[in-house]
Amino acid sequence: MSPVRQDVESRVNLLSRFTRRPGRTAAEATALVVAAVVAFPLYWMVLSAFKPAGEIRSAEPRPWTLAPTLDSFRRVFAQEDFGRYFLNSVVVAVAVVIASAFIAFLAATAVTRFRFRLRTTLLIMFLVAQMVPVEALTIPLFFVMRDLGQLNTLWSLILPHIAFSLPFAIWMLRGFVKGVPEALEEAAYMDGASRTRFLWQILFPLVLPGLVATSVFSFISAWNDFLFAKSFIISDISQSTLPMALLVFYKPDDPDWGGVMAASTVMTIPVLVFFVLVQRRLVSGLGGAVKD
Amino acid sequence: MKLSVRMVAVAAVLATAACAPQTSGNSSSDKDEKTGTLRVWLFQEVNNQPKEQVVDSVLAAFEKEHEGAEVTVEYIPVETRAQRIKAAFNDPKSAPDLIEYGNTDTAGYVKDGGLADVTEDFGAWDEAKDTDPTARQSVTVGGKVYGVPYFVGVRALYYRTDVFEELGLDVPKTQAELIATAKEIRAAKPELYGLAVGGAYTYGAMPFIWSHGGELATGKGGSYASAIDSAAARKGIEAYTSLFGDDNCPAAKCAAMTGNDTITAFAAGKAAMAIGGDFSHAAVEAGQVKGKYAVVPLPGLKAGSIAPAFAGGNNLGVLKSTTHRTLAVDLMKRLASKEAQGELFDAMGFLPTFSDVRQQVAAKEAFVKPFVATLAADTKFVPASPAWAQIDAGAVLPTMFQEVVSGKKDVDSAAADAAKKMNDAFGSVG
Amino acid sequence: MTVPTGTGVLERRRASVRGGFSRPRGGSRTSGTAPRPRRGRSRTPWLYLAPALVVLGGLLAYPIYQLGLISVFHYTQAQVSGGEPTTFEGFGNYSRLFSDGQFWEVLLATVVFAAACVVSTLAVGCALAVLLTRVRAVPRLALMLAALGAWATPAITGSTVWLFLFDADFGPVNRVLGLGDHAWTYGRFSAFFLVLLEVVWCSFPFVMVTVYAGIRAVPAEVLEAAALDGASQWRIWRSVLAPMLRPILVVVTIQSVIWDFKVFTQIYVMTGGGGIAGQNLVLNVYAYQKAFASSQYSLGAAIGVVMLLILLAVTLVYLRLLRRQGEEL
Repeated sequence: MSPVRQDVESRVNLLSRFTRRPGRTAAEATALVVAAVVAFPLYWMVLSAFKPAGEIRSAEPRPWTLAPTLDSFRRVFAQEDFGRYFLNSVVVAVAVVIASAFIAFLAATAVTRFRFRLRTTLLIMFLVAQMVPVEALTIPLFFVMRDLGQLNTLWSLILPHIAFSLPFAIWMLRGFVKGVPEALEEAAYMDGASRTRFLWQILFPLVLPGLVATSVFSFISAWNDFLFAKSFIISDISQSTLPMALLVFYKPDDPDWGGVMAASTVMTIPVLVFFVLVQRRLVSGLGGAVKD
Repeated sequence: MKLSVRMVAVAAVLATAACAPQTSGNSSSDKDEKTGTLRVWLFQEVNNQPKEQVVDSVLAAFEKEHEGAEVTVEYIPVETRAQRIKAAFNDPKSAPDLIEYGNTDTAGYVKDGGLADVTEDFGAWDEAKDTDPTARQSVTVGGKVYGVPYFVGVRALYYRTDVFEELGLDVPKTQAELIATAKEIRAAKPELYGLAVGGAYTYGAMPFIWSHGGELATGKGGSYASAIDSAAARKGIEAYTSLFGDDNCPAAKCAAMTGNDTITAFAAGKAAMAIGGDFSHAAVEAGQVKGKYAVVPLPGLKAGSIAPAFAGGNNLGVLKSTTHRTLAVDLMKRLASKEAQGELFDAMGFLPTFSDVRQQVAAKEAFVKPFVATLAADTKFVPASPAWAQIDAGAVLPTMFQEVVSGKKDVDSAAADAAKKMNDAFGSVG
Repeated sequence: MTVPTGTGVLERRRASVRGGFSRPRGGSRTSGTAPRPRRGRSRTPWLYLAPALVVLGGLLAYPIYQLGLISVFHYTQAQVSGGEPTTFEGFGNYSRLFSDGQFWEVLLATVVFAAACVVSTLAVGCALAVLLTRVRAVPRLALMLAALGAWATPAITGSTVWLFLFDADFGPVNRVLGLGDHAWTYGRFSAFFLVLLEVVWCSFPFVMVTVYAGIRAVPAEVLEAAALDGASQWRIWRSVLAPMLRPILVVVTIQSVIWDFKVFTQIYVMTGGGGIAGQNLVLNVYAYQKAFASSQYSLGAAIGVVMLLILLAVTLVYLRLLRRQGEEL
């Protein structure tokens, strides 16, 4: 492992030298401006959550409010099972992230490190399910879940979300597994490492940046899902997830925009927290940093 | 092409193993247990506690009356109703015994085979005789009754008292006056819409069509034919679409508006008049125009007449798959009883479906008077056909109004196209 | 301008890759170079694939098979819940679809709109990923968090907020740009453009984060060498980064094509269900209006199958083009 470490260090040095170039100030200014533009709709969302109801859509759209109120947040948190929904969402998202990361890592290794019949076909077949509207798959999936006896349980959300995150995760990790030189694998075997050891202790850490990207992807898609949550959790409302607490405010003919914005704000924050927790992996970038 | 050939082969193997797609056997249950747990789904309101209190007091009385019977109520977001209720039809094990549902969904749910026929129970219910005719129509499909009305929602004309006073205008008494007044206001105050209208606001437009004697569709007992292209209906379309223009509500902005958008414009002080529901009251009160507006029934063609309005609202219904039919029907009647509806009005402001109870609440709460008057005059309902779900989802009527408003088609051809689409939908549901 | 050293490093690396790896080559195709013998070669990959295959087989392959079946039956909610018997329709649903003139218009609009979204999203995402590598921690975290926020916001809320921002009467954007009360959603192109902005806003973060992760995995000496040669950013991207990131760019592109072709929420919310008189309809919204909203699952399934075939064709053509360029799957 030590050659890897060394290399990482030297690589970080090299990379910082690469970035220390004229024009960095301009680049950083650009980054900050883009960040501000991208964040503006988010700011507007949070602002609207704090505005009194009559001000959210008014003829004087001010980017501030003189009468901030917590009323909208109160309506969000006053929902009976809000805490429960939150917990359910966390369970579903974390389970999906972990399960799809492991399954995809194994599958990506298989399709990258081995040749076998149907390999390419499989890779493409993985993508096929994403090519149809999700609504079209809800009915068949409903019957699968019913036959598995998992309707109204969190499994009915976890399983389909794993299935829908896998294709991207496998395709994505392929690129990272590919980037790890064969020589490393052979060196490991020569040192007497077992295949399992190589897989989890050497290869796995090297593809972590890819896993971060795929995890963010699976986390967000599981976290924000409405359709499965309202199709498969039918009779047991205690198994509902956070988006249900948001949908309450979308009343036909009489939507409560303050509630919508407050609930969305509350929903977005955990994703940002999750990202801050995992992003160090992405930035410190261990992957593929191995000498040939 | 090796790749694709192989895929075709895989597909072919799958196809040869073909059988019919899965369905669920959701026949009506023979069981009618008198004890056990009764499951109820009601819609979750943004501010739900007052509703829960009304329901809880009904439940307490019910459980006292039926020993050994227990009730669990789940409040579901309105936005999730379509998926959940269909899922309940598909999986009787997850299904509740009693549901609240939007009254325009009745015919669809009946067609799906989900609602139990309660014609006899409804007939035998002494309070049912005071149910207003349109509300009764909203639970009736093909002559049979599939639930009881829970509350109604109806729209009337909101107008700015300060603007009318400033310009020395009278409240319009006829539709012609309404249109003229709207344009007069716009001419005097170009920053305001005279009457805020929306191309996607079907239920705001319908009173114009109905007041001219037009209908959405004619027919009974499951076979409907569109009447949107009749001469009378076209006059109504003409009248409504004449309101889109720089002299009242510019097409560029108003063609896309929904009912809620027009109320938002009114609440924000951007419109001198708007057609809004009793349920829009809170939104308007929260806006800039608080204390500067009043509500009257939407005028019809003749002076003093009221344009027929759409009677929206919710119903309660018993599911076919229930194993507690008697109990469920009894609970349904209790939840929708005169007393409970009166309490529900006090708690949530939902208008009762009984004419006499409505008069009582109108005496208590001045705000609802114009809405109660509108309901007392004449209300209409959408065709009791499962095709309505298709017509509504396919945005057939908004498309028609928008085609006219944006100048893509004239009234005649837009109405003819809409009629064709409606007839296709009526035809497809047999 | 040439970048001899940079490309040199690259070539060396690629050469070593070619030599040292038992790289799989397109399915069962026999290739000239025999792979190295590997322990348990025949069974191990299937062992590794097993969990994925179980999940995907049960939860994706089987439902898709059902989807195909449904599309040749008359299958609505009444059939699903057992209210009416299921009847075989053959290609009835398909012919109903193909004979609808609106379907072809919508299909064309969908293809053009999706293409515009994919190109814009990829361009913005890649450019910002490269930008991220050139800035220090604080601006990088700021941009990443903003992007993540955009990605994480539920699509339904994001669309609503964008609509509020660009509202003719109540939005701040028109005030700032001095557009008076210009209505963005009235014209067909301006409505599509507004939706495109929102789609790019919520989907570029995916591209940015993914590509950034890919760049982090590129050996530093390669970038270093190229940079020392004084190559421009664009040049480094073109001749160093893009080729090395190919596998990641491929999946990002395919995913973007799939998502943008299936765009729903943004159009549905921002254009009020398909725009003035349906001028902004895209295929998925069309499917919803015609089929799913009124529970006509068989028609919906037929639309789903058509979408599947189109996207599959696009994917295969794209991969074939890549292969022709010497890039292997």
